[in-house]
Amino acid sequence: MDMLLQALASLLTFESFITVLVGVSAGLLIGSLPGLTATMALAVLLPFTFSMEALQGLIALGAVYMGAIYGGAFTAILINTPGTPSSIATTFDGYPMARQGRAYEALAAATIASVVGGLVGVAFLLVLAPPLARLAVAFGPAEMFWVAMLGLTLVASLSSDSLLKGLLGGCIGMLLSTIGVSPVGGETRFTFGFPPLQGGVELIVALIGLFVIPELLTMAAEGRGALSKEGGFGKSHVSILQVAKRIFTKPVNLIRSCLIGQLIAIIPGAGGNVTSLVAYNEARRFSKDPDSFGKGNVDGVVASESSNNVMVAGSMVPLLTLGIPGAPPDAIILGVLLLHGLRPGLDLFTETGVLTNGFILSMGLAALMLLPVGLIGGRLIHRVVIKTPYYFLMPCIAMVTILGTFALRNSLLDVGIMLILGSAGYFLRLIGIHAAPIVLGLILGGIAEQGYVQTMLAAVIDPIPWLRLVSNPLSKVLAGLVVIGAATALLPAWLERRGLLDKVSSKAGGDA
Amino acid sequence: MILRLNTDIAAGIVGLAFAAVLWLPRGEMGRLSIIFPRAVLVILVVIAVGLIVKGFIRPGSRRVVISGSLRRLLVVMTGFFVWWFAIGTLGFVVSTCVAIFLLTWYLARVDGPVSWRRLLQWVPIIGVLVGVFYLTFTQVLNVRLPTGLLL
Repeated sequence: MDMLLQALASLLTFESFITVLVGVSAGLLIGSLPGLTATMALAVLLPFTFSMEALQGLIALGAVYMGAIYGGAFTAILINTPGTPSSIATTFDGYPMARQGRAYEALAAATIASVVGGLVGVAFLLVLAPPLARLAVAFGPAEMFWVAMLGLTLVASLSSDSLLKGLLGGCIGMLLSTIGVSPVGGETRFTFGFPPLQGGVELIVALIGLFVIPELLTMAAEGRGALSKEGGFGKSHVSILQVAKRIFTKPVNLIRSCLIGQLIAIIPGAGGNVTSLVAYNEARRFSKDPDSFGKGNVDGVVASESSNNVMVAGSMVPLLTLGIPGAPPDAIILGVLLLHGLRPGLDLFTETGVLTNGFILSMGLAALMLLPVGLIGGRLIHRVVIKTPYYFLMPCIAMVTILGTFALRNSLLDVGIMLILGSAGYFLRLIGIHAAPIVLGLILGGIAEQGYVQTMLAAVIDPIPWLRLVSNPLSKVLAGLVVIGAATALLPAWLERRGLLDKVSSKAGGDA
Repeated sequence: MILRLNTDIAAGIVGLAFAAVLWLPRGEMGRLSIIFPRAVLVILVVIAVGLIVKGFIRPGSRRVVISGSLRRLLVVMTGFFVWWFAIGTLGFVVSTCVAIFLLTWYLARVDGPVSWRRLLQWVPIIGVLVGVFYLTFTQVLNVRLPTGLLL
């Protein structure tokens, strides 16, 4: 409690307020550009935090994250193009509302839902993370190996159409993590006689390459102009208070969506797009008037936006406790934590508890800041977004990407690695190998290797050393979860092939 | 642009090629350093072979869609690498000004011919933009950017 109060005190400064305000505005601006995801927003703005103190840098990135996820709703509602993948479900009802001249109502509902979702996520993180971090101490090498495998299996199954391709991406990522000096043994590996590769593939370099470059190449190939000018705010027939009254007098949808968002956010790799789609589907299923969904029902906007903003803080539960990102943007936060010498786990909540709690609380402040920034600054940001031609935007983002990558280690080689991974990532995506499993493999590779090698070393006198990986109850449970995770990914396809699965979800997509 | 390609087989071949690149230098390493990469390599090969077999028995997608212009995609991709190379030789400011100007011109041509007047209008905008970022990184963030032969 003392730490929480100290963290709150460290947050209530002019500097922190300005950092959050600028972070939310910058995130909102980037998030509202179609194709530019929250991960991209964090990657592009990352170098600006290098000269900041650890807390200030984390506050800035937390605010950017919150702003970017919310920013995706702007274009989703106004021009039927989700600014970030998290806002896909917002288009289903947001755009029909805009076409009916209810754009302001939809935006107000999205703003209120985002604020509530953001605050709920922060509350969950504050409550869930410390006890889970204490539990993480019980995890030995074998358990950490299985946790890494579990994360990889879930990511592979959630982010790809094919489990095999997802796992292939994960293996490629894990092998990329082995380039450089080995954590156990200290030998140089896979440098092909090129000494600069001894430093390995920096996580953030790979993240920027795999997430940003393919999007830039797509923008260039499509010759995609800036947003069409059809989307306007429209005349507001209702006030924000009326919208708020409507949402809070029937809070079941909001509460359910927040709970769904939090539950899914804890699963490593399940991003905001999964949370918002599931929450939207459930809102429609439980609604008394499901037919109105997809035609401009404000509950659809509330479900989608509240759940994806819960995910922002909620997905940091596995990140701060086990070092496993709950969503791709969290990987950048992990990189920043490691840059400042902070390792996920119990220490984050004890030795550096003030900093960690300050970061968590700052996301609550960022959620509150969405209200003024979204409603007042939103019009201005939208105008800027509409007027910036893509042919200026694309090279400028490329410049910031190159600068950010170079600034990490003052290395031009890193820029080259970023471009190679990005270009390869574009073509890999075409054949169904997505960036998320590769990046997660890169992150989890180190954790899995340490767990695996240490377990094998401990079992050197055992007749079958591999059995040490499942020698205690916790690792057996985790290994079981890995199998279940893989099986549940295969189950829907198997059921569909057997004709046992009614294609309800596809119908939902069609209606929307 | 739509390419007819069995994505399962393609992904499997990519996996096998990647495994082959890392399989060759493994012999020089000690047991502790190779134990994990070797295990992952074996799993990667199994998955890749599985994908190739699946590609023949029950293929997934048989086509790859490249949205937009493949030529523009390849030109911009090559442009990024030339830009990277130029940063090391010419310096950040000069190479970035030239690269952004050329990329902007190339991409703006999609909407139609770009007049000289527009091109001249872009010069100060790009100059200021690159200058602001250069000064922010060198003066505020204390990052020494490559100077190369020029700046």
